[in-house]
Amino acid sequence: MTSSPFILGVGAVLAVAIGFLVDSPYFASVLAYGVVLGIFSLGLGLTLGRMGYVTFGHAAFFGLGAYAVALLCVEFGLSYWAVLPLALLPGVGLGVLVGFVSARLGGAYFAIATLTTAEILRLVAANWIDLTRGPMGILVPVTPLPWQEALGWNASQAYLSLLVVVAAIVLALIHNLNRSPLGRAWVAVREAPDLAESLGIPTVRARVWNVALSGAIASLAGALVLPKIFVVTPDLFGVANSATGLLAAILGGKATLLGPLLGGIVFAVLPETLRFVDAARLAIFAVILLVVVRLLPGGIVSLLPSRLRPRIRAPQPVAGDAGPTLFPAAAAGTADELLQVSHLRKSFAGVTATQDVSFTVRRGELVGLIGPNGAGKTTCFSQLSGFLAPDAGQIAFDGRSVIGQAPHRIAARGMVRTFQHAALARNLSVYENVLTATHLALPETVLASALRLPSFRRREAERARLAMACLAALDLTARADEMAQDLPYGEQKLLAIAMALATRPRLLLLDEPAAGLNQVEAARLADVLRMLQRAGLTLVVVDHNLKMMMAICDRIVVLHHGALIAQGTPAEVRSHPEVIQAYLGGQDDDVAEMRS
Amino acid sequence: MFDILLQQIANGLSVGMGYALVALGLTLIFGVLHVINFSHGETFMIGGLLTLIATTTLGLPYLVALPLAGLGGAVLGLAINWISVRPLLPRRDGAADVLLATFAVSILIHQAVIMLWGPTPARIDGVPGAFEIGPVVLTGQRLFVLAAGLALLVALEWMLRRTRFGVELRAVAQSQFAARVVGINVDRVNGVTFGIAAVVAALGGALLSPVILYSASMGQVVIIKAFVVVVIGGMGSITGAVACGLLVGLLEAVLGLFAGEGIATAIIYSLLLAMLLFRPQGLTGKRAR
Repeated sequence: MTSSPFILGVGAVLAVAIGFLVDSPYFASVLAYGVVLGIFSLGLGLTLGRMGYVTFGHAAFFGLGAYAVALLCVEFGLSYWAVLPLALLPGVGLGVLVGFVSARLGGAYFAIATLTTAEILRLVAANWIDLTRGPMGILVPVTPLPWQEALGWNASQAYLSLLVVVAAIVLALIHNLNRSPLGRAWVAVREAPDLAESLGIPTVRARVWNVALSGAIASLAGALVLPKIFVVTPDLFGVANSATGLLAAILGGKATLLGPLLGGIVFAVLPETLRFVDAARLAIFAVILLVVVRLLPGGIVSLLPSRLRPRIRAPQPVAGDAGPTLFPAAAAGTADELLQVSHLRKSFAGVTATQDVSFTVRRGELVGLIGPNGAGKTTCFSQLSGFLAPDAGQIAFDGRSVIGQAPHRIAARGMVRTFQHAALARNLSVYENVLTATHLALPETVLASALRLPSFRRREAERARLAMACLAALDLTARADEMAQDLPYGEQKLLAIAMALATRPRLLLLDEPAAGLNQVEAARLADVLRMLQRAGLTLVVVDHNLKMMMAICDRIVVLHHGALIAQGTPAEVRSHPEVIQAYLGGQDDDVAEMRS
Repeated sequence: MFDILLQQIANGLSVGMGYALVALGLTLIFGVLHVINFSHGETFMIGGLLTLIATTTLGLPYLVALPLAGLGGAVLGLAINWISVRPLLPRRDGAADVLLATFAVSILIHQAVIMLWGPTPARIDGVPGAFEIGPVVLTGQRLFVLAAGLALLVALEWMLRRTRFGVELRAVAQSQFAARVVGINVDRVNGVTFGIAAVVAALGGALLSPVILYSASMGQVVIIKAFVVVVIGGMGSITGAVACGLLVGLLEAVLGLFAGEGIATAIIYSLLLAMLLFRPQGLTGKRAR
């Protein structure tokens, strides 16, 4: 598998080789523009490929980087090469702004916000004549690179070899990030935002990070184009630039590492080799974009047979290694009453979904939450886990209120929920799904991830062990490398529990884990739940499988029409007149099941 | 100075009516199909171009050119739906793919028009005459834009409220699935919605081009302003689109008086970002979540 040192090594060799091989200044210059465009597309592809956000205005970052460096050179008389790295900063700043404004709304809003931002910057650059010289543009003096003369190269050769090095560094950083908790969070947020949030991934922060990094790379690309164009003009912010970068990323394969870079090179070299199409360049690009979107949404790379595409494989289990302890946190904490719900109330436009519900869950208990359809069980869970704000009432976890906290904060405190529909990142492997959820137990910094520092590798190995231990606990080890969507339904439910376990929770909220399972699968699930409780975990389970619930729960809370009508041991609940009434009004089968 | 302000307000309202007509189609398509038709601005531009061709090359009177532009818009709208929307909608990433495909179509139309007719702006003679209302002078064309725009809005509202198709459209907007269950032909409703939106946009272009000059890039400019309008008015809201369309036109004219046209436009665009930051559901929408 590709590693970042390998990418850097290839980059270094290419940089030297190209310096000597490409001695035509014209060809070197065309190729250099291709590499710049490739770096721009790499930045754009980070947002498009990882987050799935379409952008029509990435030229905002490109132009901003070019203008920032140009102004630093001209206004302060600094050397172009010295200020070049500073181009990253305005990209990050604008990325945080645009990311925060639009990324939380998602999809189309991001495209609109980037386009509008690019247009605002274009208008400012064209009209703030005192600073930018308007449409005339700023002429930037570029001195020869120091090693140019020593090696006997021409300016284009030296420039090109520098660009190849920069492209290799950018590639290596992106590759490292993709294989880190942050990169996995991006995919999780794209595929299943609610699930990601429930596993403790701060979705807004993950999105803003993505746009900021993407913006920084695009901004650097904008600054890197200066030795080729010499003059920065408001046109840099134009739709033509945004569209070219977008097309390069899509054609190359937006979800791949190398695709955007190759796409960028193709779309810089193509118009040069086909001079006669110059006037129609954008129109031809548009036709290609349309054809690719309609016929080949995965880009050229999707034509490769799937086994040639890189996959992340689960590590082989080491004999004798029991893995990390899964429940070290279970014993920690102080309060004996782990969860206290008091007078919880929630209504939707006149329908009361929860009315004055109070109950307590003690440490180490396995509590069932039952009730006929529409009793408000899932609504109750959604309030506990922070996805819905209650109208009134209190929820205290381990002695402290969780009201008003975001779901990912609540998950980080140790209360983690699963969803009724096993909402997984379907096209990732079982192992990768669980690995994604390990970030809470073993948190990571972005810097360590990007540079793949030794501390990162150590923690990443720990995360892999934790993920494998979670899979082993649920007897899914043999399935580790299968796609999540290929698992049988019963095992998808177990996978959801494995993911929740990987966050090292203290309290698990399981929403209908047995729904849709056959008897064998339900029995396996019951064993798993008992095992988790024995290991020290506290559980609250919502389910309609009353036979299973009666068998495994210490206590059962019964909801009906949003109100709590009974709670107690399974035996007490079974003989409670109101419970019988509630269920008799519904399904006779359920009562028979309870009696049996 | 006050007189100039009044004059700018009057001018801004007529331009704003054009924005409202474009934004209306954008918001209608979003409300029904839940996708963004990025090429909508180019339909507006084609409306202007068809009017230019009809009045100059063919020598037809402006009022005859107007329905021709609307007809051309309908054809274009149906073609855009056929090429870049309908086949992509059922996909898993349907909304994103439609956005990309209509973006490609918009560039294609824009570039094709530049290659065939050139990028030079052109004058179109609209409804002649001028009317003095106190200190304000309104040209016949500007008055006509306001009157015709209003008539279009009333007709559209009537169609949505009173016709069988209007009921079907609103049903699809609420739930595609439920509409299909009760036997509504959702594909047909989608297609006709697209056609109506395109006619309104092309008429908007035909109405406004005598006021602002026809140019090949008028579609690229108007689409961003239409986005500003629908984001402020609330995505999917028709009343919001009309009210904010007028408001944006007015604001732009008044700001232009003080800050110059370029900066005024930049300020209007910034409103979109501010809106997304502070009230993403728009002025008319309710806070979700």
